[in-house]
Parts: sequence; structure tokens; C-alpha cells
Amino acid sequence: MVRHLTVSGLNHKSAPIEVREKLSVGSDESVKLLHEAVNLPTVEEAVLLSTCNRVEIVTCCDSPGSDDRLLELSLFRGSGIDSEQLHRHVYTFNGRDAVRHVFRVASSLDSMVVGEPQILGQMKDQFSLSSEHATTGTVLNRLFHKSFSVAKRVRNETRIASRSVSVASAAVDLAGKIFETLEGRTVLLAGLGEIGEVAVRHLLAAGVDRIMVANRTLETAVDLARELGGTPLPLDRMDNYLPLADLVIGAAGGGQLLGADRVRAIMKERQYRAVFFIDLAVPRNFDPAINDIDGAYLYDVDDLEAVVEDNLDERQREAVRAEAIVEEEVDNFWRWLETLNVVPTIVDLRERAESIRQYEVSRTLQRLETLDVDERERVEQMSRAIVNKILHRPTAVLKEARGTHEEPQLVSALRKLFALGEDR
Amino acid sequence: MELRLLELSSLLYFLSALAFCAHVLWSAKRLERGGPLLLGLGFGVHGMAIALRTFSVGVLPVTGFAEGMSFFAWLMVGAYAVAQQRYRLAVIGAVVSPLAFVLTLGASLMYVSGHSISAEFKSPWLPIHVTLAFLGNAVFALAFAVSVIYLLQESLLKSHRRAWMLQKLPALEQLDRLNYVCLFWGFPLLSLGILTGGIWAANTWGRFWSGEPREILSIVLWLMYAGLLQFRLSAGLSGRRAALLTILGFGVLVVSYLAVNILPLSGRHGGGAAL
Repeated sequence: MVRHLTVSGLNHKSAPIEVREKLSVGSDESVKLLHEAVNLPTVEEAVLLSTCNRVEIVTCCDSPGSDDRLLELSLFRGSGIDSEQLHRHVYTFNGRDAVRHVFRVASSLDSMVVGEPQILGQMKDQFSLSSEHATTGTVLNRLFHKSFSVAKRVRNETRIASRSVSVASAAVDLAGKIFETLEGRTVLLAGLGEIGEVAVRHLLAAGVDRIMVANRTLETAVDLARELGGTPLPLDRMDNYLPLADLVIGAAGGGQLLGADRVRAIMKERQYRAVFFIDLAVPRNFDPAINDIDGAYLYDVDDLEAVVEDNLDERQREAVRAEAIVEEEVDNFWRWLETLNVVPTIVDLRERAESIRQYEVSRTLQRLETLDVDERERVEQMSRAIVNKILHRPTAVLKEARGTHEEPQLVSALRKLFALGEDR
Repeated sequence: MELRLLELSSLLYFLSALAFCAHVLWSAKRLERGGPLLLGLGFGVHGMAIALRTFSVGVLPVTGFAEGMSFFAWLMVGAYAVAQQRYRLAVIGAVVSPLAFVLTLGASLMYVSGHSISAEFKSPWLPIHVTLAFLGNAVFALAFAVSVIYLLQESLLKSHRRAWMLQKLPALEQLDRLNYVCLFWGFPLLSLGILTGGIWAANTWGRFWSGEPREILSIVLWLMYAGLLQFRLSAGLSGRRAALLTILGFGVLVVSYLAVNILPLSGRHGGGAAL
């Protein structure tokens, strides 16, 4: 009998943050919910996914849909949200749709930012929590392991996650197309705008060595410089240090700090070694004409936003190809799931045994040319009797296991031991 | 047979150029490996064509204009392959493969089968002289390709558009460094090429220098590349300016090569013998 896969839950598309935050569960609570779920009469396996963007429970049941309400109740009880309201936000996927949903979530196709890499790690953690507490079995183990490999395939075969989708990381990407490496570079941050600080942290993570922090009030510059491991400067002295900087980030209020003429002189002093000017301030800190100077590359917030926009477009295009991969894998998984039924397994087992028997008997009879028809028939009968005796008990046990929680384990073990369905 | 192989290599270079363009321009991810693979295949077939020709003529086939072009193209692709092993900048092939295609196409159109070789070309110094001089020029051709990609990447960075295309090209600094490496290797090769040419001339005709146009141009080219190297080393010439000068230098090299071979100038280097 077919296992019934179900996903129930809500995500960033179906429910607002006010609802999601009330439902999000920690790992202790999650273990409790999982045990409650598998104690329900029809539920055999369960995995809970809870991130800031989604709360979902994936289950494998032995009859379809009967426990939907129970599941939702156990999952969402005590959240302080009335079930009427909850039902507007909760979705349920069954069968192939459930498989597809799990694969799409793992591949980051269902994420708020398509292609973001965190979701896979979160899924792995929560799956191991479930398997440690033995709330998973043959079906969900296979489903989740498969979903991780689908995610890997999607990442390798499409460019879904290859581009930055934040202004700060887009700036780091661009820096990597000017400089061979960011190691050993000096960055000068002008002003203490938050976005500037984020950009510097990204650059630090990418290997930048020296940091100078310039600000109108030196005291605040000192604080940030200490935190980032850099040197503080008063903003009006920044000019002297500019020729040392390979990257200059503008995040100061009060408009233009740096004109094209000064940069021309700096570039000459640096023998035209490249400088990347990143203007994150509005109104802008750097004269747009700086971009026309040899060796100087200037990007303002709008330019970076445009890069991000481009990258997001590409992710959308790549997502179409990713969906095709998911679809293919859903088919594969579904084929496997269908083989978990007792009847086709018994048929496969009998066929496998019969083909071995026929092959061996015909080999033997070829060598025993002296046998007459009767004797040959007796050899045939003996071989059939051996096969039947050996297969009798496995077949009986399988038939007894129909509909019990043992069924998928036995079926998959048998399929593995006899390599059923592998060479067809 | 040699001609068929040459034509086949030309076709492979053409397909490789297409694959490179498709990869850079239309972000065809599947073609990422196609360009270098086809280029490598073309290089192998091309090498066989040259080997067969060497076998049938008895000397390295570099005495005719078409043969010279073909050999030069082969060395250029070889230099690319070596640089690619070390620096992993496959995309330079986007310039190298169309160059190789044009050169081999020209060579196969102007192909002359089995012409007789006069005794003076059978000196052992000839292949040494030609290989070194051509190798130097091939490395300069690679520097040219690197510089073209540099200017493309630079204009992409300045234009603030087509970020997806920019991602597929190497960092400016990397390209600048490879440009320098090419200059660094190309210059001594060219110098040795000129020197061995002199030795060959001294052995065969008893004179190191005969003042014919190709020899004078060689010295001009040598001075030009010496100047370029000097500016890079001492005056901090780099980036865009270095790329522009490299392209200009290669332009001079090509024009002088064509001038000596096509214009009716006298001398052993002119009039059909492409040395």
C-alpha cells in the first residue's frame, strides 16, 4: 500500500511575519512536537522545519489525509492564534506535490531570496534532530537525503546562487574584478553610515588587511576602528591618507567629500594603480567625474543596486532550469516510493528467483546430455521446489507486514538484499 | 593530406572561437569548456599537419609565407596552452582562437604544396632562428590577446552595465600581470631569435648583418619592446596604458611582417620567404 507523504505549514508567502514569529519553535519544543506527531495513530514518520521564513511539518502516514487537522492542532496549538485565522495561512501538499515542495525548499527555490544558501544547512540540522529522536524512517530518510543531493545538483548545474544579491556583496564581487586578491589591501571608510560598516565587514571577510576609519567626530571613529581592528582618523585629515587606500568607501553625510581634480593627483601619485571608490552615501560623497579618471573605478548606490537587480534577474532565469531538475528528481523519487509496495516487491522477488533458476537449470541440463525427458522434468521440479521453499517465508512475512509500520523497512531491505529493480 | 589537416585545424579554431564568444556574450554555461577543448583539438591536428609537412619537405616548413603563418599560429596557440596551465585564464582564448582561425585560413588558401628548398635553407641554424623569433612574436600575440581582454574588462567596469559579462572575465590586475609575464618572456626570445639569425647569416653568407628591410624592422621592433619593458620595470607603466601600448606594438609587428612579405622588397626575408 502506498505511503502518504504530506507537508503542512506556512511560509513567508502564505503568512505575515506576525503569524510566523508566534509559531516558530526551538529545538526542545520541536522534539516534543515530533513525538506528539508520531504518536498519532496514522503518522509513521515526521520531520519539522522551522526557520524564520517557514514552519512546516513533513509526515509519512499510512492512510491519506485523515490526520491533517490533528497535525495542525499539535503543531500550532498554544501559539495564541485561533484556528480560523490559522487556516487562511496554512497550506498542505500531498503525494508528489509534497515531494516537490521538499525538493524546492532544499534547493532554495521557495526562499524569499531565491538561491540563498542558508536553508540547506537549516534543513540538514533539523533533519538530523528528527533522525536522532527516531521520528524518521525509510521514507523520510530517503526523501531528505535525496533533497540534499537535489539541492547540490541545482547548485552545480545552474547559476542560481552564483551572484551577489546585496549591495555590499556586489561591491566585494566588483572589487574582485579589479584586484586579483583583496589580501594586503587597504580600505578607507569615510563616515560611519551603517551601510558603509556592512561593506567594510564584507571586505574584511574577503581578506582586506588594513582599515582606516575617518569621521567628523574622532571619538566615534575610534570606537568603530577598535571594533574592526583599524586606524581612526579625523575626516578633515583623510586627504593625506587617500593615496594609501586601494578601496575608498563613502558613507558620510553632508555631500561631496572628494572632487575629480584631487583624485587625478592621487592617481598620478599612485602611478595609476587602481582605486575602487564605493559611494554609498546619499547625497553622494564622490564626484561622478572620478569614474572617467584612468585607474579609478567609481560605483554609487544606484550602480550597485543595478548590479544586484541584474543578478536577481539571472537567478530568476536560472530558477526555471532548476525547476526542471527538481521535476526530474520528483519522478525518480516517486518511482522508488511506488516500489515500496508489497505486491510489486513479491512479484519482483519471484521473477528474480525464477530467472536465476531457469539459467542454472538450463546450464546444468546442457552438460547432462544423457538424461531422458522424465529425468529432465524431475530436475526442473526439484529446482522449483527449492525456490518455493526459500521464498515461502519471506513472502508470508511481507504479506503479514502489509499496512504496518514494518512494511517500508522490510520492503526496502528486501529490495536492497536481492538488488530488485536495479538492473531492469 | 597536410592541407586537409590544416583546413580541419582551421575549422576547429573557428568552432572554438564560436564557443568562446557564446560563452562570453550569451552566458552559455555548457560551452565554458568547449572553447578550450576545441582549441586544444585544433592545436593537435595543426601540429600533425606541420609534422607531416616537415617530413615531406625535409626541413621545418617555415620558408614560405603561408607556411610561416601556419607555424606562427601554432606557436601562438601553444603559448596560450602553456599560459593557461599556469594562470588559468581560459577566456584569453576568445581572442587567440579567432586569430588562429584567420592565420590558418590564410595559410590554407595560400598553400603551396612541395616547393623546392635551396641549400642555404638547410642549415641547422634556420629552424632555431625561426622558432625562437616566431616564439617571441607568438608570445607578443598572446600579450595582445591579454590586452584586448583587459580593455574589454576595463570598459565593462567603467560602464557600470552588463555585470554578468564582467563576472566571466578575469580581474584587471591578473590580466595586467599576464601582460607583463608575456613581455618578460617574449623579449629575450625575440633577442635570441635575432642573434641566431645573425649567426646563420654569418655561417651561410659570411656576414652577420646585411642591412635588408626585414633586419632593420627587426631592430626597430626589438627597440620598441625593449622600451616597453623598460617603462614597465622602471616607470611603473601598467594597466590601461600598458595594454594600449601592447596592442599598438603588436599592430606594428603585424604591419611590418606583412610589408616585408607582400611589398616587392629585396632580400632573403622578402618575396615569398617569410623569415
